[in-house]
Amino acid sequence: MNDVPQYVIEMLHITKEFPGIKANDDITLQLKKGEIHALLGENGAGKSTLMSVLFGLYQPEKGTIRKDGREVRINNPNDATALHIGMVHQHFKLIDVFTVLDNIILGAEDVGAMGFLKRKAARKKVRELSERYGLKVDLDAKIEDITVGMQQRVEILKMLYRDNEVLIFDEPTAVLTPQEIDELMQIMRGLAREGKSILFITHKLNEIMAVSDRVTVLRKGRYVGTVETAQTTKAELSRMMVGRPVQLEVEKDDATPGDAVLTVKELCVPSKLYKRDAVHNVSFTAHAGEILCIAGIDGNGQTDLVYALTGLEKPSSGSITLMGQDVSHASVNKRSEAGMSHIPEDRHKHGLVLDFTLEQNMVLQRFNEPRFQKAGFIRFDQVRSYAEELIEQYDVRSGQGAVTTVRSMSGGNQQKAIVAREIERDKPLIIAVQPTRGLDVGAIEYIHGQLVKQRDAGKAVLLVSLELDEVMNLSDRILVMYEGEIVGEFDPKQITVEELGLYMAGAKRQEAKA
Amino acid sequence: MTTFFENLTSGSMVFLIRQTLIYAVPLMIVALAGVYAERSGIINLALEGIMIFGAFIGVLFVRLVQQWGWFQAVYDADNYLGLQGFMLLTMLVAAALGALFSMLLAFAAINLKADQTIGGTALNLMAPALVLFLVRLIANQNTLQMHTGDSASWFMLKKAMFGYGRTEQPGFLFDTFVNKVYPATYVCILIFVIMSIILYKTRFGLRLRSCGENPQASDSLGINVFRMRYAGVGISGALAGIGGFVYALTTTNCTANGDVAGFGFLALAVMIFGNWKPLGVAGAALLFGLFKCVAASYGSLYVLNGAGEKIFFLKDLGINTNFYRLLPYLITLIVLAFTSKSSRAPKAEGIPYDKGSR
Amino acid sequence: MKKNSFLRSPGARSVMASVISILIGLLAGSVLIWIVGLVSPTISAKGIWEGIRLVFAGLFSTGRNAAGALTFGFNPTNIGNMLFRATPLVLTGLSVAVAFKTGLFNIGAPGQYLAGTAASLFIGLGLSTGSGPLYDWLVAQGMAPAVIFPAWLVWTLAFLGGMLAGALWGAIPGLLKSLLNINEVLACIMTNWIAANLVTWMFDVSNLKNVIEGTKTGYIYKTTFNNVATSKMGLDKIFPNSQVNGGIIIAMALAVLVYIMLTRTTFGYQLKACGSNRFAARYAGINDKRNIVLSMAIAGALAGAAGSLYYLSGNTEFFWSTYQSLPAAGFNGIPVALLASNHPIGVVFTGIFMSMLDICGLQLTNLTAYNEYITDVIIAVIVYLSAFSLLIKMMLGRRRKAAAEAAADAQPAPQPDPQPDPQPAAAEAAPVQAAGEEENA
Repeated sequence: MNDVPQYVIEMLHITKEFPGIKANDDITLQLKKGEIHALLGENGAGKSTLMSVLFGLYQPEKGTIRKDGREVRINNPNDATALHIGMVHQHFKLIDVFTVLDNIILGAEDVGAMGFLKRKAARKKVRELSERYGLKVDLDAKIEDITVGMQQRVEILKMLYRDNEVLIFDEPTAVLTPQEIDELMQIMRGLAREGKSILFITHKLNEIMAVSDRVTVLRKGRYVGTVETAQTTKAELSRMMVGRPVQLEVEKDDATPGDAVLTVKELCVPSKLYKRDAVHNVSFTAHAGEILCIAGIDGNGQTDLVYALTGLEKPSSGSITLMGQDVSHASVNKRSEAGMSHIPEDRHKHGLVLDFTLEQNMVLQRFNEPRFQKAGFIRFDQVRSYAEELIEQYDVRSGQGAVTTVRSMSGGNQQKAIVAREIERDKPLIIAVQPTRGLDVGAIEYIHGQLVKQRDAGKAVLLVSLELDEVMNLSDRILVMYEGEIVGEFDPKQITVEELGLYMAGAKRQEAKA
Repeated sequence: MTTFFENLTSGSMVFLIRQTLIYAVPLMIVALAGVYAERSGIINLALEGIMIFGAFIGVLFVRLVQQWGWFQAVYDADNYLGLQGFMLLTMLVAAALGALFSMLLAFAAINLKADQTIGGTALNLMAPALVLFLVRLIANQNTLQMHTGDSASWFMLKKAMFGYGRTEQPGFLFDTFVNKVYPATYVCILIFVIMSIILYKTRFGLRLRSCGENPQASDSLGINVFRMRYAGVGISGALAGIGGFVYALTTTNCTANGDVAGFGFLALAVMIFGNWKPLGVAGAALLFGLFKCVAASYGSLYVLNGAGEKIFFLKDLGINTNFYRLLPYLITLIVLAFTSKSSRAPKAEGIPYDKGSR
Repeated sequence: MKKNSFLRSPGARSVMASVISILIGLLAGSVLIWIVGLVSPTISAKGIWEGIRLVFAGLFSTGRNAAGALTFGFNPTNIGNMLFRATPLVLTGLSVAVAFKTGLFNIGAPGQYLAGTAASLFIGLGLSTGSGPLYDWLVAQGMAPAVIFPAWLVWTLAFLGGMLAGALWGAIPGLLKSLLNINEVLACIMTNWIAANLVTWMFDVSNLKNVIEGTKTGYIYKTTFNNVATSKMGLDKIFPNSQVNGGIIIAMALAVLVYIMLTRTTFGYQLKACGSNRFAARYAGINDKRNIVLSMAIAGALAGAAGSLYYLSGNTEFFWSTYQSLPAAGFNGIPVALLASNHPIGVVFTGIFMSMLDICGLQLTNLTAYNEYITDVIIAVIVYLSAFSLLIKMMLGRRRKAAAEAAADAQPAPQPDPQPDPQPAAAEAAPVQAAGEEENA
């Protein structure tokens, strides 16, 4: 009976569908015992869905999962735990006000008579584990008082305390400093040495090269391939991750950039969650008549940058100049007057008042203009005719026209409404953040066309996008953002997607220009 | 010449401590009721209503059992242990029905994901209405009283029980903490201590607290958030029911009239002031109890001066009674203003837990 | 088609939900009457049936006939009294509704009501009209007032003063919320009790305690002692022998004003935007902090007006020692607003409905072994149901949304957003929770 199965976990031909989208399409992943296996892919490639299937959060439509060669069903996280599968979620599942020790034992407590906790015994066990794997933690500190790196070690200890053998790390380095990342790499190697098998979700090529044994690459929900890390290169992995014929050509002429509209100098924005800058020393200029694109993988400071530019958040230092005016600390209104319109990232949170009607949403910033009000009374006829004009011109479809409650509209039409509103405000700068997220092809083409039209009309368009296709097609100039900093500036005609992928994944960076 | 300590203790000090405890203890235990609910993630605005209900149930139970005759015999025989047993039993009944009443909130808040503030408000409206409706039917007036006697003669400890003669003056400590004291007060303190220990030292307490902070995390660790929240609200109801009855027993002579003078709301403030922690709650409750006591009886508080004359130090200040009465609320508001930045409510309180949103 | 005709379908849903809540509430009251009747040895089956009939139709009760049976018919006195009692309910209901529109739970209406009451009484009795028993008494005591005002001016000043006092009292929790992020519910509870004690204190040291009528210790003079009273506006002709006066007309006018403010003005637009989605309001450059304070001040003014009109009626006496309990009229604004889905015009109807329940309760007390507190039980049941009626309505709404989307979009179904909505649906539905979210800007 020494026929030990080679694979500790096998996920075979997994297909998981959500309404209208195949998140995982016939994906196979095999994890060897004691290896570090990286799972690589862009945003939306299906990595998280696949791991959620393994952890019992989703049930796949097709495919089987095997543990140690035996087929298993994982219906919920408890099943996964019983199979000794543990996961460090990207957003830690920790109780901030509890001590480290309490967090580790929560849910797997040893208790004595009458349910009293055996903290002493637990402390001993955790101590042993932390020494064995080199996981330094302060057991009596509260989670809210310790560094993110230590919080992550707590999450790892949680898995070890439960005797997990398969450890899933979901984007573990996204929140860490470079030193902490090095430390984590060492810990992972140590864990593998001790016989733990590790699945490591990431899109950072340097880390894959540094720590993993094998890599499985996913793209748009499909399986691309599995390679031995030692026998591949970053360029090869980048090609596997992003490489594809570019779709959706947008017809546009070359840009003729004019005067500077927006100038950002050494902008820093503190992170809300962590004790470091979310945006660090960012400087750039957007000119009239160009589409300047900020590319990057989700969570690299783009959102904070936009909040600081638009006045929703305060920068800690640096300056923002719009049309010659310093608006670094101006209110949202002031910036709007100075010449800024904003297509926000989250249309439900910021862009729309969902319980308002379409026409009410169309004048969200403008209701105070004399055109739409008289002595504080809304001029309904003006609002109506303006809204209907926009609906007509931008082809916004809804059940009852201008009086439709926005909540009842489709995502694409909601977004069209926002685009219409922001463009019609006719400001020299349009900040568009992921303007096509979650939309169908028709809506995407339409919105791209509108942005190009605005550029041609002499406006500066600052586009923040996670979609490489969009970045390559639409932009006249690309800035890549990585970990809160601008790591490169490119002409889309002079760079390939693969090359761009290297910058976005932190594998390369341009030297700072003087 | 008397010493300072003698001056102090011979004045109103005995009365002040005794009376402060009487006000502080219901506040303390009801604030802990709030802690249990909120630490499990449910805002229990209904503490006032549950107290009102608990007070009514307790008084009603006492009234009914008195008519039974058996306890009358116990009373006539001066068997005070038997009478204290009676009181304990009543507390148990008030706890059980308080918990039952709170299930209305639990069901709305946990299963139906209803707005917890409105649900709590509904219970606060329901309790006095129901109580007054029933009291009027039972007693033909707006106040439900004991069947016979008063709460002091039935449930209070007296020095005579410990062999002191009518004119004998017991020592300071005995006088303060035993004579003319309701043992219910100490039972409450005991319950408070036990429940605080459970909250911090047991698996149940650890899991309950986790649900009020990060129920998604609790769920991912195999903890049943719904069950924990039901437990939190149920315990909250039981403690508030006890608190209501003890309030009625010790401050309103064991009567129920659909009102506990805002004690439930004050307990909420005590809970926040105490930063959702038992020790803080105990301290805050004592402070508020003192204020309440001063407000109720500032005119009769005195110390003796060296010559043995009574100095009515608060009355002599000439400040209006009403000032002392509004002081607890005003101070709460001021304290809230200063501590709002540092106070730490359980993070997930008030947010219905939806298994879908991980 | 009117401008807001699109509201019709959600409006109809709200009315349906309210009607269902009311029916369940009345049913629960009937069941309680039935159970109590069964348990009680003194209440017969006939008594139970009488109780239930009065719960539903007490407004039309005309007493008992010679044979001892309940009689029903048009009773103008009851209806007049109902309208009189509805006045403060409509106004506190409006108060709670306005705050709700901005995402705030105004549980502070009792305190604002007291503030309004106190200010109105101090002005209404303090500025002498040179006539009435109070003036005569003062003259007899040799304290004749130096300045005499016309009665209409005193009334107007008293009413406006009441509103102003309520507004100031309401602004306090608003300020605490917007500047220090203190939960408005808790701040309101504290300001309620502070008001209760403060008002007691003010009257305690005032010379407005009724010393003329020996039987009225503990009460403040009626404003008629200063010949100040709200005009009847002819309503007493329609509803003879009742307490009705022009207050209900004023309350209705205020409801219409609030309705216009919320639906027709840019100010109302901002308030609703803040209440509906604070983040979007901020994105659009709307000052949400200022709006929180203003919204609470307006809510306070309305609750203040409630107290003011109730006591300026002239036939109500204020029991000044309020420190032990808060006026129920303030709290009852909550069910009035909830039942009306916070619609200002709806509040008029639900306020009158609640006051009708009051009348039914009085009839129960007068005519049967039951008592008026049953109506409070019914109201509590209705509030309890309204805690999740929002959700029921939303569930109804969701089904419609799906249908509307299918109809609106001829194109194939779009891809879903890769990330689901950050907030659970329930949180969106409940304004109170949205308001409770921590957010520093």
